[in-house]
Amino acid sequence: MKKYSQKPGEISEFSDLPFWKKADGVDLAYVGYGLLIVTLVVASYLLGMFKLLPHDPEEISLELLMAPAGTPGYLLGTDFMGRDILTRLILGIQAYFLPGLLAIAIALLFGTLLGVLAGYRGGWVDTAITYFTNLVDSFPRMVLILLVVAAFKPDIYYIMLVVGITNVPVVASLIKGKIQFLRQKSFIEAAIALGLPTKTIIWKHILWHNCKALLIIQATIGMGEAILMETSLSYLGFGVQEPTPSWGNMVQAGSNYFMQGKFWPSTAPALAILFTILGFHLLGDGLNNILEGKRNK
Amino acid sequence: MKKIWIALLMCTILFAMTVASQAARKGDARQHGGTLSYGEYGRPATLDPITSNEMISLRLTELIFNGLVGINEKQEIVPELAERWEISKDGRTYTFYLRKDVTWHPREGEAVQKFNADDVIFTYRIMKHPKTITPLKVRYEFIETAEKLDDSTVRFTLKRPILNALAKFSFKIIPQHGPRNPDFLTREDPFVQHPIGTGPYMLQSITADREIVLVANENYFKGRPHIDRFVSKPFADQNIMTQALVYNAIDMIVLVNPRDIPEIQGNKNFILQPYNALSYSFFGYNMRDPLLADKRVRKAFTCAVNRQEMLDSFFNGQGTIISGPFAPGSWAYNLDVQPIPYDPQQAIKLLTEAGFTRGADGIMQKGGKRLSLSLKVPIEKESEAVKRVVLAFKNYLKNIGVEIKVEFKEWQAWKEDVFLEHDFDIIYASWVFDDSADISSLFHSAEIGPWKNNFGGYSNPEIDSLIVESKLTLDHEKRRTINRKLHALLAEETPYTFLWTLTNYTAYQKKVRRVAIHPYKFFSFADDWFIAEKEQK
Repeated sequence: MKKYSQKPGEISEFSDLPFWKKADGVDLAYVGYGLLIVTLVVASYLLGMFKLLPHDPEEISLELLMAPAGTPGYLLGTDFMGRDILTRLILGIQAYFLPGLLAIAIALLFGTLLGVLAGYRGGWVDTAITYFTNLVDSFPRMVLILLVVAAFKPDIYYIMLVVGITNVPVVASLIKGKIQFLRQKSFIEAAIALGLPTKTIIWKHILWHNCKALLIIQATIGMGEAILMETSLSYLGFGVQEPTPSWGNMVQAGSNYFMQGKFWPSTAPALAILFTILGFHLLGDGLNNILEGKRNK
Repeated sequence: MKKIWIALLMCTILFAMTVASQAARKGDARQHGGTLSYGEYGRPATLDPITSNEMISLRLTELIFNGLVGINEKQEIVPELAERWEISKDGRTYTFYLRKDVTWHPREGEAVQKFNADDVIFTYRIMKHPKTITPLKVRYEFIETAEKLDDSTVRFTLKRPILNALAKFSFKIIPQHGPRNPDFLTREDPFVQHPIGTGPYMLQSITADREIVLVANENYFKGRPHIDRFVSKPFADQNIMTQALVYNAIDMIVLVNPRDIPEIQGNKNFILQPYNALSYSFFGYNMRDPLLADKRVRKAFTCAVNRQEMLDSFFNGQGTIISGPFAPGSWAYNLDVQPIPYDPQQAIKLLTEAGFTRGADGIMQKGGKRLSLSLKVPIEKESEAVKRVVLAFKNYLKNIGVEIKVEFKEWQAWKEDVFLEHDFDIIYASWVFDDSADISSLFHSAEIGPWKNNFGGYSNPEIDSLIVESKLTLDHEKRRTINRKLHALLAEETPYTFLWTLTNYTAYQKKVRRVAIHPYKFFSFADDWFIAEKEQK
């Protein structure tokens, strides 16, 4: 019976309506907020790149240690070395932007490759890949990162390399599951019957039309995860190292004064982390609902 | 009526006799009882005095064990397990007469054993065994033989007479029936986790949270200690430790973080007590680098750094700026030598004299070589003070046209870079000394090499001969004079930029009374501490 229940329009790509008309208001709000955050992140990245900052991020003033927010010239106050927190907050995104993209790229690229191989070829390839991804999955990620840091040096690119690699199994299993589900669909059967080359089926029919949303969501989640991972590592002292600012090492340095009532040096970067990660996750969630047309059902 | 009186009298006499036969009572009227729990930053790996190499276990072994001799609050050597001793005229044989009334802490299912000469010989043998891994081995190389004369007499023969040898017999004695392996001690031996000793406190248990619970030794030969229980609580975060003290979860912090001092200072419930630690911090230079081999460059760096400003800003001014290689608390420190003053102009002058000129990028250079150096720092979780000092250092040197690249490295990798590969330009570190004020391992040229303490490769024949002379002399005054000369010379040579020695503070609840502290062993006098009865919880 199922075979005949498939109608055009049920898969959102075939609908003629523009996506914002189909979408739920909540999802649009999610995506809107997410895009706002992405814009802010990109803007901060560019400001940092072109050195358009209120202060020199490494300018130390020992007379002005831990100045509270609102001190003239220092909107968000100063940190434990008397450096401007706002400047370092803006510059902090540098620590995540490119490394985060690297982690995402690795996870998506290799995850998709393995997922397609496992899902489409099946058989012994599937078994081998499943074993491999289980193996990677069974390593505690934190331990792996600490090992790499100990063996080389605490560099954010090394850390993100590990984050990327350890994310490969997640993407691979999602793609594999999706393909195994799609392979039973009639349109794939039809495509095979029509004699379309495998490459076209995989690229166009499977990845482009049916896995796009999934990959975008994984990418947005990946960025949030990269920031969180660096923050946890910073707490252990293995994150981005001074004098380079990162939100993680700013929270860590500020936390030493939190109990003494000087909350601003850690609160500002902590809120930045909160809103940014929230933004990426909501963007992912919203896009998922809109592209997959889930909420309407 | 009379009968009853006699019976009562007899009871009293009997009671008095039992007490007298039990153990010598302390000759004071302080109350017994109460628990003192103190916070430690981290957990000790082992609890025995031989294999342990960190301060947390050193402090615990001070409560559990005794040495042949001890030290009193005036830093004088006093009898402990040995009640008296004789030193031969040539200064090479030390004969110790041991106390006969000392018993080891009881172990379940075993009869209580008495301490005797065999235990002393056993401890010495274990310490010297090549398979025992202990930092003590090098320290006791000066002993040639140890022999038992009878059950309560031991004799040590020294390779050559040395100054202050008696103080070195304060090493802790472990029981012959303690370790499972009778030949050597490793960290796998159950003894290192469940030690028994002769000291005022006995290990009762280690809880699942790694709290170490010690109880008073009723049969302690100096008399039962006053406080019933000592509990060592591990903390993973220093901020929380201070809060734990403020909210009464613990009674004492061994070493208060400088940034928390104002918070405790303002609180009437606590006592903040300073104690002198024989340690100091420094920037150490790698003399293998031709740029740093030039004395003028090192001196310029020292001139460029405003040490007083750093001490005031980062440590609330709780410390002393030092001028030379000895800890200021020690007798060897030369107070006549003044620390090199902060003077950036002088620093630039010195660099110019050394042939450097300012390059187009503002960095000093000589022969096309930029004065750009790496500063390697180990990563520690509680490294905020370290971060502050190295970042400020970077900033000060930037002002005189020197570029410092701060590199943080994982602790083990850092140690290998500095002590094995010698792959660094500058390091920031601290030394902690014992009372012997021995700096030979830091600056003697024979100490250059893998895993040796002269990591900078500093070599100076004049210093070498002074160090040897100081080690060989038996006259305390003469030794002092030599050390003063050493101090002045090394201050001028600046193999390090000597920074400061920080004042250590312990903080404890007011209820703990008569607290006296040993500079680095800390609990040496803890058997005299007490908590007044009405304040015992």
